[in-house]
Amino acid sequence: MTPDPLNRLVAQLSKLPGIGEKTAQRLAFHILRAPDDYATELVAALQEVKSKVRLCTRCFSLTEGQLCGFCTDPRRDDRVLCVVEGIADLMALEKTREFKGRYHVLHGVLSPLEGIGPEQLRIQELLVRLEDGKVEEVIVATNPDVEGEATALYLMRLLKPMGIRVTRLAQGLPMGGDLEFADQATLARALSGRREL
Amino acid sequence: MDRWEDEALVLSTLDYGDADRLVTLLTRGRGKLTAFAAGARKSRRRFAGALEPGTLLRARLVERHGSTVRLDAVEVVHAFPHIREELPRIARALYALELCRELLRDEEPAPELLSLAVDWLGRLDAGEAGPTSVLAFELQALALAGLMPRFDACTLCGRPPGEAPRFDVDHGGAVCADCAPRATGPRIDPAVLEGLAAIQAGARQPLPPALRAEARGLLARFIEAQLGRRLKSVEFLRSVGVD
Repeated sequence: MTPDPLNRLVAQLSKLPGIGEKTAQRLAFHILRAPDDYATELVAALQEVKSKVRLCTRCFSLTEGQLCGFCTDPRRDDRVLCVVEGIADLMALEKTREFKGRYHVLHGVLSPLEGIGPEQLRIQELLVRLEDGKVEEVIVATNPDVEGEATALYLMRLLKPMGIRVTRLAQGLPMGGDLEFADQATLARALSGRREL
Repeated sequence: MDRWEDEALVLSTLDYGDADRLVTLLTRGRGKLTAFAAGARKSRRRFAGALEPGTLLRARLVERHGSTVRLDAVEVVHAFPHIREELPRIARALYALELCRELLRDEEPAPELLSLAVDWLGRLDAGEAGPTSVLAFELQALALAGLMPRFDACTLCGRPPGEAPRFDVDHGGAVCADCAPRATGPRIDPAVLEGLAAIQAGARQPLPPALRAEARGLLARFIEAQLGRRLKSVEFLRSVGVD
């Protein structure tokens, strides 16, 4: 018979995304075998993330205060705003070190088949943010799937009449990719979006 | 183990775990089925771009006895790429796909509905399918599912609906003023019934926006009553201002 506290830990861990029961057991045994400090620090970290991390009131990425580092950094360009679906996309773009503007996180995309409409996303907050007229270009960085395209087109419909330049991330072949192994949809999109040299 | 190849239209997808996807397909041979696409969210080679709703595929499927069908490989037959260029086209396409998905039961062959959907997506892709064509698609899909509403005559007595008809979803269509005490449902403009009856009969001239809006509402109520729930994409169409 496994002790109840261990069963409870396995049950909690297996609720995490991507963690099955076997992995949950492995993690639980790792915690059990680790020094006492480790479990204490893990508990403290979990409690701290729940109590201190919240959404930035301007861009809706993560922060410990009212505004996040992306919104308060004076070196970032106020004239360019990049709209992303989620925080993971923001992190991916930030890793490129190419983008120096501000962000806005929608927390989802329009999804007709799941009944997700504009009211469930941070679109109204985006419009309020753009009212001061500082932003000249909005880069729509939603995924190149049907839902991402629907969201981009919906935003374009709202933002163009405001006199804001709306751009979309380029789509096509990946860097270092092999044309021979490219899928049909990507190759077709790369062909239609070809540029002059 | 059973392996086969079939023409298949992607109706919807659902992420499963970290890397996999459940894909609901309308296949020519076996109707609607849900297939497990292992690694579909991570593999950029095997399924990339192909498992988007509204893509027509040549699909290689595998079924082990008593387990979920597995999607082994796909080849894109038609991606209808121009649908993605306009929000109304995307919204209408996804509505049509949801309607097909909800009208069908699992593994009941529906080759006519597949042909109808593929043909309509083709016209939407070519910019030839406006708002009235959505009504035509709905009526044809309902007819193929055996749920055709009646607009040209009273569903209770068979006489013309007259000047003060009602639309009763429980009786499956129009009800004339004389039969109204035996029916439920709101009064409707006779011009809406005439417009819908004409579309049912094959007319393709666009309905005026006001009639179209009333006809859309009427069909939405009918479909909701037949399915026992409202289609999610109906609310989406409304929220983005597409009819």
